[in-house]
Amino acid sequence: MDVLTLFYQGLLVVLEPQNLMYCFIGVFLGTFIGVLPGIGSMAAIAMILPLTFYLDPTPALVMIAGVFYGAEYGGSTASILMNVPGTPAASITAIEGHALAKKGRAGVALFSTATASFGGGIIGMIVIAVLSPSLAQLALSFGPPDYFSVLLLGLIAASAVSNGGALKGIAMVVTGLMLGTIGIDLTTGDLRFTMGIPELRDGVHIVIVAMGLFGVTEVIASIRTATSGKAAQTVDYNDFYPSKEEWKSLPAPILRGGAIGSFIGALPGTGQTIAAALAYAVEKRVNRRRKDFGTGVVPGVAVPEAANNSATQTAFIPTLTLGVPGSPPMAIVIGALMIYGITPGPRLLTEQPDMFWGLVASFLVGNIMLLILNVPLIGMWVRLLKIPYKYMYPTIIVLICMGVYSLNNNVFDVWLTLVIGAVGYVMRLFRFEPAPLLLGFVLGPLMEEQLRRSMLLSRGDPMVFLQRPISATLIAITVAILAFALFKTEQNRRRRRAAKKANQGETST
Amino acid sequence: MRIDRRLLMSTGAAAALFLHAPAALAEPGAWSDEPVRIVVTFPPGGTSDLVARLLAQHLDTDFGQKAVVDNRPGAAGTVAADYVAQQAPDGTTLILSNNAPFTIAPTRFQSIPYEPLDGFTHVAYIGASAPGLFVQPSSGITSLDEYVAFVKETPMTFGSSGVGSISHILGVAVDQALGVESIHVPYQGSSPAIQDFRAGVLDSFYDMVVQNSEMIEDNEAVAIAIASPERNKEIPDVPTFKEQGYDIVIENWVGLSGPAGIDPATAETIHDTVLAVFASPDIQERLKELGITHAAMSTEDYTAFVANSIEVWAPLIESAGIKE
Repeated sequence: MDVLTLFYQGLLVVLEPQNLMYCFIGVFLGTFIGVLPGIGSMAAIAMILPLTFYLDPTPALVMIAGVFYGAEYGGSTASILMNVPGTPAASITAIEGHALAKKGRAGVALFSTATASFGGGIIGMIVIAVLSPSLAQLALSFGPPDYFSVLLLGLIAASAVSNGGALKGIAMVVTGLMLGTIGIDLTTGDLRFTMGIPELRDGVHIVIVAMGLFGVTEVIASIRTATSGKAAQTVDYNDFYPSKEEWKSLPAPILRGGAIGSFIGALPGTGQTIAAALAYAVEKRVNRRRKDFGTGVVPGVAVPEAANNSATQTAFIPTLTLGVPGSPPMAIVIGALMIYGITPGPRLLTEQPDMFWGLVASFLVGNIMLLILNVPLIGMWVRLLKIPYKYMYPTIIVLICMGVYSLNNNVFDVWLTLVIGAVGYVMRLFRFEPAPLLLGFVLGPLMEEQLRRSMLLSRGDPMVFLQRPISATLIAITVAILAFALFKTEQNRRRRRAAKKANQGETST
Repeated sequence: MRIDRRLLMSTGAAAALFLHAPAALAEPGAWSDEPVRIVVTFPPGGTSDLVARLLAQHLDTDFGQKAVVDNRPGAAGTVAADYVAQQAPDGTTLILSNNAPFTIAPTRFQSIPYEPLDGFTHVAYIGASAPGLFVQPSSGITSLDEYVAFVKETPMTFGSSGVGSISHILGVAVDQALGVESIHVPYQGSSPAIQDFRAGVLDSFYDMVVQNSEMIEDNEAVAIAIASPERNKEIPDVPTFKEQGYDIVIENWVGLSGPAGIDPATAETIHDTVLAVFASPDIQERLKELGITHAAMSTEDYTAFVANSIEVWAPLIESAGIKE
């Protein structure tokens, strides 16, 4: 049977009233949770998991998936309006999104993210429908050295994310890498930098770092502005739709973001934050308006949103076809399926075609619902954030604390988040960017794990990175990027020196 | 000290029996008006979590005892165990006890903030699943003897679900018993290890056998031995280490425990209710799918079992070189 027939059958499954209803509940709940800063999709899915026990597997899966990608739609709203990311991945959206909002163009930013999210979601859906079987195979052929090389490429590309000085950017990446070394050494079991605190044995959770640096810091920073009593950036509905020129600048970044996101999402163990960050870093290199990135440009908002939404859909590929959860929410999906006695794995596609294709079709239905929820009804979500600061910020802190607490049900994590938030505020005063830190923190531990695993498997021979074709190709690309970046810096320096000389020449005459 | 406690417990149980005479057992049923929290040492989604959720659901539907699952993962289960040890012993806070905090952590970590035996009332044993050794079908190896012959020539890499995990400790135990030296490659959980095995990156791996029965059926992996005392009925073709001449029994067990000092009558009610839940054919079927062999054990026997497990595992953990 061809893909279209299978997809049509899936569409019939999802259009059953019961499935349609649970799809709507999922995406609505997801958007709601996503809009609220602090609580991410992980907490939301864990909360609705007991509800799904009373459902059939298909509506249960459709609903969980809805919460998962709905949260990524909602996550951008608070990032744009308040610079407080609703989900960790949305912290990348905040870079351009909040800059746009500060220029009074929040409406355009919101509209662009909704459109980009929809575009990314649909790209992800097409990828999952067409490529699931073969992508599962590709992911299977990805060995530890290949993972290491793709992460190395990611880290090199990520150093481009920083808007501040290069030195500060590198300092932040390194700080992130160092934070990432806290906890049990995965290869030897030794404790590193845990300072005798048992809670640090498992390292610092990504949500703690993201919510501390982006959420808490933002709240502290706005205490001073709060006295002015001005609520979150208002949305001007006259300036809601992008200009013609901006419309034209949207499709290419959405396609690129969607493609990068689909690929990264399909790799187990990566996730939306890395997808969004990588896509943004790449876009910053290739976009025609790359020089304006950081000042609030529409393509800069669209790219991470397209990427994180497509990654959210394709994350289901390794989860369902290999039984390998790419992220904690996906581990819950596997757990939920196992409650029904369904074991995710290569056989799922043939044994549960209705469920699989029902899920794929629900992505289309769910994304359309989300587009409606987030474009005509955006005012509803914005109003949620327009509550005066004196009520809003304490609420945000409470929500952040709740979200962080729900990770491990542990108070220590709450304190740690607040401390990281305070440190983040100091960093902000000195204009150190938090984004590179987050990237170093996310990519570092994964890179170390894959590097050491590769070395164990090759019995200590580093040539393994050049012998495997995938890894060798990726390393070649990395070297090329690095060489290009060095060449550019050198060129800039020469140009600047030349300009300086010319200037001096002028003044002396 | 331990003996005193056990004596005390059994006298308590005997007294309870006396009071409830002539019934030989406490009546299964709700033991608290408050909802009971079942603390799980792992994040949602894994086998332990599923067992806890099955239990919670059936305590409510079958006996009207409200129960919720409370996941408190972290620090190899010690965070959850420490938390439970500090709660009131009224039967409303229980922990799904397992190897990680109760047999591995006491030996592995220099200090843990709780007493694995005296700090808890070990109420009911639920069951155990057994890990085994898997090799690539292309290796042509089908028995332990062939495996030994092979690895004596060329050492194999083996994947585990992490340093200090059961699969790692079994790997060390097998190496020791067979007198060979394999290369340990730790992963975070078994699924990434299996993925690398499928990709041909790993020569072998250790993991729960029943959960991987599909791979065995599809001839993607050959299970050459299981570390249970007897063969598992779900996978009758997989021989045990024992019958191949190596006395290796390492199982991943789960049970239910609470803080020390739960009143014996309450403990008995919890014990009987939990056993009644797991005796239902519906749940037995689910446990089988999860690869868990269920057995009934009295409260005293379960306490002795935990104590014995700590002693049996200690030398293995020490030789795995993961002691802090």
